[in-house]
Amino acid sequence: MNRSDPKAKIKGTEAQGETYILRLFMADNEPNSRQARENLERLQETHLKMPHKKEIIDVLDDFQIALENNVLVTPCLIVDSPLPKVTVFGNLSDTARVLSALRLT
Amino acid sequence: MVKRTSGEGRKNPATKARELPKVATGIIGLDDVLHGGFPAGRTTLVSGGPGTGKSIIGMEFLYRSAVSGEPGIFVTFEERAEAVRENALSLSWDLASLEKEDNFFLFGAHVDPQAAISGDFNVKGLLAILEGKVKSLGARRMVIDAVDVLMRIFDNPARERSELYTLHDWLNEHEMTALLTMKTYESMDTGSRYEFLDYMADCVIQLDHRAVEQVPTRRLRVIKYRGSDYMHNECPFVITDNGISILPISTVELKHKALGPKVSTGQPRLDTIMDGGYRRASTILISGTAGTGKTTLANTFVAAACERGEKVLNINFEESQEAMVSGMLSPGIDLRPALRDGKLRVMTAMPEAMGAEEHLFQALRAMDAFQPDHVIVDAMSSCRRMGTKQSAYEYLTRLTNAGKERGITMILTNQTAGFLNEHEITSLDMSSIIDTVIFLRFIDIGGEINRMLMILKSRGQKSSRQYREFVITDHGIDVLDAYVGEGGVLTGTARQEQEAREATEARRKRVEIELKEHNIKQKRAEMEAEIARRRAELETAEAELKILQLEEGLVQEGRDIRGKMRGEDANSLRLKKRVPQRKERGTGGKEGTK
Repeated sequence: MNRSDPKAKIKGTEAQGETYILRLFMADNEPNSRQARENLERLQETHLKMPHKKEIIDVLDDFQIALENNVLVTPCLIVDSPLPKVTVFGNLSDTARVLSALRLT
Repeated sequence: MVKRTSGEGRKNPATKARELPKVATGIIGLDDVLHGGFPAGRTTLVSGGPGTGKSIIGMEFLYRSAVSGEPGIFVTFEERAEAVRENALSLSWDLASLEKEDNFFLFGAHVDPQAAISGDFNVKGLLAILEGKVKSLGARRMVIDAVDVLMRIFDNPARERSELYTLHDWLNEHEMTALLTMKTYESMDTGSRYEFLDYMADCVIQLDHRAVEQVPTRRLRVIKYRGSDYMHNECPFVITDNGISILPISTVELKHKALGPKVSTGQPRLDTIMDGGYRRASTILISGTAGTGKTTLANTFVAAACERGEKVLNINFEESQEAMVSGMLSPGIDLRPALRDGKLRVMTAMPEAMGAEEHLFQALRAMDAFQPDHVIVDAMSSCRRMGTKQSAYEYLTRLTNAGKERGITMILTNQTAGFLNEHEITSLDMSSIIDTVIFLRFIDIGGEINRMLMILKSRGQKSSRQYREFVITDHGIDVLDAYVGEGGVLTGTARQEQEAREATEARRKRVEIELKEHNIKQKRAEMEAEIARRRAELETAEAELKILQLEEGLVQEGRDIRGKMRGEDANSLRLKKRVPQRKERGTGGKEGTK
């Protein structure tokens, strides 16, 4: 398991100026999922100034999408765009890590 | 299907009474080990190092279930789904078609190693997917392969434990008959890290793959089964081209068939000694040092059996088929017709080539396919090279047990270590499963080496316990008469000399007796002649006496006549009394006759 700084993986990628497509997979109303939704909303306000799309998917309602996207753990944020695709596990409480994954630092 | 195990396959009456529902594993031998199968609706943990066969056990369980119409879900965290399908196909398990039929769902649950971690998370996503698939397939069986890979993303023992409990609870709530496989490393501290899993799971199976004296050996051991008895010993197993085969020793012991009727040894004299021959379905050990004729004796039987139309499987660890066939031609045993007619099949293998389990599996498969009446193992002493003494022992006991179950006559040859050694039957303690022991040895008498044979033990038949000399001629084995002379057994020239000596002695005695008889006859004749002579003398004497008496009578008569004539009757009486008769008679006689 590679736990190095996610920045290392996106070197050379110019994320600025592209449309962000975010999908947040969560499970019902359990605490981590609720926190993730709240944390993502806060990040949208503070850091995602550019145009972006956000989708929230409840895996309990649609397991098929979870299966297709290989979502084993929730909450799980998948950043489909800009490429390369990035996955963040967790309730997004570690803002620095999320921003680093989004290449917004 | 949840199979409620009845008495069969269960040994402990206490557990039988509880009727713990079990699910047949579909794996050869594993139901015997688990006394019926996996616990139904419960979780079984399968742990072991890399490459020990954990995934295959899980896959075979689900594959066999799916084939019989019981759907199952296989989740792997370690391999891509496509790789799993390919691996399964190499065992001729076509997962793709089962997936099409909705009897199988293969989930390559790939954990993205590049994923960033930000805060806490849990396995709800996985459970949502499993929940959905369980419903759509109606699955009641599930394998979660390499669950340790999923757990590693938590990077926190407490979280791992909590998530495993979540998963376990979910499985229990859904009454899944589940297998969790978990990789363990001896070097790692997994023992304590995942120790709780042993308590959590209802059944714990450990797999092991180790090289024992350079021979790789797979072993399976059940270390726990809540609410059920199980086989406690380590069970060797093999992964064949059709899945896993576990052959526990202790399950077969009681199914032996009774010893069958007599079957000729192929050597008429030996048949006589053994009161008709070997017993069918018995195990015969031919033991002896190198070159004593063990293979020749075994093949004497083989040739005769094949000629009768019976089938023989020869498991040969000693030489190639060609070498054996040509080697047997010199003592006049031609195995070629038997091979040509398909009555004899030879399986050759280097003992070191594979583990004892693999050897056993191949032998059993050949036995099932060929259905032989008799099996030869030449030589069981080579089995030692399969690994340890223990693995050789297991191979031989299980092979012999399999033979007994099938009513097959087993002939094992065994090369004993020393030359001219005493009755070393086998270095392995096999005596309980061997019915008959034929011991071959060389014996050195008067600087000459000769072959001897003795039936040391023969269960269920009477036999002569004498040493017999035998010779290997160009027309097979010849067993000679038992020599029971002075000073034990003699063979070869020494025997001939001894026999000659005794013959001479016997002849000398006979002459002596004849001589004595003759002497007696002569003595008797002499005696009889003497008797005859004496009798003759006696008779002569008697005759003389008679003549004298007669003469005397005549003299007296004349006197009487004269006396009457003289009128001297009274005097004549006096005269008679007074005799000097002879004198009187003599003179009187003379007088009278004159």
